[in-house]
Amino acid sequence: MIRLLIGILFILASAYDSAGQIRYFRTPTLPLKTDTTLAFLAVAEDSIANDTLFQMRSKEGFPVAYFRKIRTSVCFDNKCRLLKVTLFWNPTGRYLGYDLVKGEFLSKAEHKPFTLAEYERMSDVLADQFSPLATLAYAEIAPPKKPISKEEEVDGVSSATAKNVLDYVVEGAAYTTYKMWHVVYGPTQASVVALTEKSLSPEYVLALLESPDGSDKIWALNHSQGFVTSTPALQQKLVTFINGTNYNLTERAINALDTGPNSATWQAMLADNLTTKSYALQKLIVNKLKRVTSLDAQAKKSLAEGLKSPNSELVSTILDVFRQHNVADTETCRPIADLLISQNQFIAQKAFAYLEKLDLSDADIKAKLAQYAQRK
Amino acid sequence: MKRRSVIATLGALSIGAKASALEPGEVLKEPYKVAKKAIKADIVVVGGGTAGVVAALQAARAGRQTILVENGSQLGGTTTTGGVAYPGIFFAWGKQVISGIGWEMVQEAVALNDDTLPDFSIPHGKHHPRHQVRLNGQLYALLLEEKCVEAGVQIRFYETPTQVTPQKNGWLVETVGKGIMTQITCNQLIDCTGNAFVTSMAGYDVLREATTQPGSLMFEIGGYDFQSLDLKLIQARYQEAIKKGELDKPDFRNNIVGLLRSKGDNISHVLGADSTTSETHTVANIKGRMALLKTLRFLRTLPGCEKTKIIDVQNETAVRETYRIDGHYKVTHADYVTGKLFDDSVSYSYYPIDVHDENGVVPDHLKEGVVPTVPLRALVPKNSKNFLVAGRCVSSDRLANSALRVQASSMGMGQAAGAAAVLANMQNKTPLDVSMTDLRKLLEEHGAIVPGSQKG
Repeated sequence: MIRLLIGILFILASAYDSAGQIRYFRTPTLPLKTDTTLAFLAVAEDSIANDTLFQMRSKEGFPVAYFRKIRTSVCFDNKCRLLKVTLFWNPTGRYLGYDLVKGEFLSKAEHKPFTLAEYERMSDVLADQFSPLATLAYAEIAPPKKPISKEEEVDGVSSATAKNVLDYVVEGAAYTTYKMWHVVYGPTQASVVALTEKSLSPEYVLALLESPDGSDKIWALNHSQGFVTSTPALQQKLVTFINGTNYNLTERAINALDTGPNSATWQAMLADNLTTKSYALQKLIVNKLKRVTSLDAQAKKSLAEGLKSPNSELVSTILDVFRQHNVADTETCRPIADLLISQNQFIAQKAFAYLEKLDLSDADIKAKLAQYAQRK
Repeated sequence: MKRRSVIATLGALSIGAKASALEPGEVLKEPYKVAKKAIKADIVVVGGGTAGVVAALQAARAGRQTILVENGSQLGGTTTTGGVAYPGIFFAWGKQVISGIGWEMVQEAVALNDDTLPDFSIPHGKHHPRHQVRLNGQLYALLLEEKCVEAGVQIRFYETPTQVTPQKNGWLVETVGKGIMTQITCNQLIDCTGNAFVTSMAGYDVLREATTQPGSLMFEIGGYDFQSLDLKLIQARYQEAIKKGELDKPDFRNNIVGLLRSKGDNISHVLGADSTTSETHTVANIKGRMALLKTLRFLRTLPGCEKTKIIDVQNETAVRETYRIDGHYKVTHADYVTGKLFDDSVSYSYYPIDVHDENGVVPDHLKEGVVPTVPLRALVPKNSKNFLVAGRCVSSDRLANSALRVQASSMGMGQAAGAAAVLANMQNKTPLDVSMTDLRKLLEEHGAIVPGSQKG
């Protein structure tokens, strides 16, 4: 029953369902239907009664979402009220949504029910992982004054919402907002991530990389190396991010590239297109090539072309790649020798420092080295 | 005769006593003397802080002989010695606007420390610190130094200029340091001191506000659980201590809760902090440290804070504002908030208007899509030749300066000033006579983003 219900939940962006149940959901990481639901022991959290974290899996066995039924008290000034809500997380730990059991509703001061806009606002607030609520103390939610009327009470408990926190909470329900936000980003989130990490496979990471949400993609990129076996398909997918326009995704994708045998998949592709990238990305790619176990022949050729760059630091980094891979063939060393006559002394010195340590037989290169040594 | 003989004997005894006091392997050092040295360079950069390192690297990587004079013991300035290890904002409205040498170093520091970059595609809204790149300041200092050495920049730590004198084709920069007085002859001189004191020394006008922004002593405290504190009581006790004169309201922005919440960081305010001279900077350092110590003692009297301790304190008070040059163009607040593009724009800046005062700071954010720019003329003092500045002493009014002063903008300016000096040196011109086409080309070749160009 719950599987079916959740399947429907994902289709709804945010709304009441036909049965009058209140549920608000953000864009899910994976648009897959739930096939099975597994129960795990949740981290015990102060004041949360329920200790079960549910994992919903697709028929492929991919975790698609998690939920936890929250039963907790919202208290202040020794007055409490019960908060009953089910919170949902994406497999990456990102907030997914919340729902209330039929007949339940969220309320503000004087137990006034939330409006539709306030439910949406609550969902927006909960989706903000960087909310200042992270560092505010519970005691900071209310200003240091007594309420002057009952209307000023918060959550039907006490005190007016402090003006400086209004931007981060549902007005009139500051304590409820605070409590829910801290459950979303509390220890349960880490449990969600830990459980997903146990299920990671190259296929699952590829599916996560298709998420419409940027932070999900970054999460998946950060889990593409070290958590799963590298595959050519995954490496090719990473290259598509590197060829995109989002800097963070590109940077993380370069970081995730495999430097082992599968690096042959991407080395030439990236080295060939080096000049089309910004300087910041060129540096990242060339530095990555420094760390591969074996430098691809085509990539080496493209890097040698890169020696024509007027950017001396980039040229210097390419020489570092060649040094790392003990490149000493004549075909590559000739363009290096051409740098000896560069007007930029920085470049010429770097080329000389590279070549002088090699045992070279090419007469042309030797002559250029001798000329440079004479000029010095 | 007898007397002379006695004195001679005494002398011999004295020498004998000295000699006999030496252990095997010890040698007596000759009396300490201040040595004199004369050296040459194409370009001299004074100030190894945020802008100066980038300027020096740009100059050296373009093949110029470059000397970097720094009066402290490490490079990086505000980001390292000052401890503000989140060097500004490099992306605006989802797009990178400051790159080049500065970003290269930031990115390497982030990678080498396994730190993560903020997601620049998510707008920061009213919270611009969300786009600040946090890094390990000390690691960053190491990287800067390595890059300078690799590029052939001659670093001269512990030296400060005493005089700069115009020459027929450049400058004579006289510096003094530990045991050395150096005369450096150069063609182009770049003032990256942050205080414009080389500009002033060279005889060009500099300006300052009657009241400047406070500085900050960066630190970290711990030893308490913020969530369990009785904040109302603490606030009341804090106000009481201020009323009694035991604490000074501006030291921590009248915000003891903020101090406890942030566990230090960038919360201290040192009024009148001025790093222009040893004496003024000494005062700023002592004021910052005394305020911290006094407040630490106070915190330890509060319930729940009895075990509060200092985890880290920077070596010096970081300074926000001192002198600005009187340049060929003064960037105004209106220029800044409208993102004015100049014919000679050489770098971008992106930060809210951010004037700190004794009550704290309320940043005024830029309107969506606005990215301010810095013209080359704002980096050149009026009536100067072969002279540039970069960093917070850029020619600007106070409000514009409150945003331009941050590190990312200073890095952009540093690279632009370095590149202008390179071309001026190579073409035997003064920086303002360098063609903008050549300057843009050189900057872009070295990875910088130049406003108004096809790439920028």
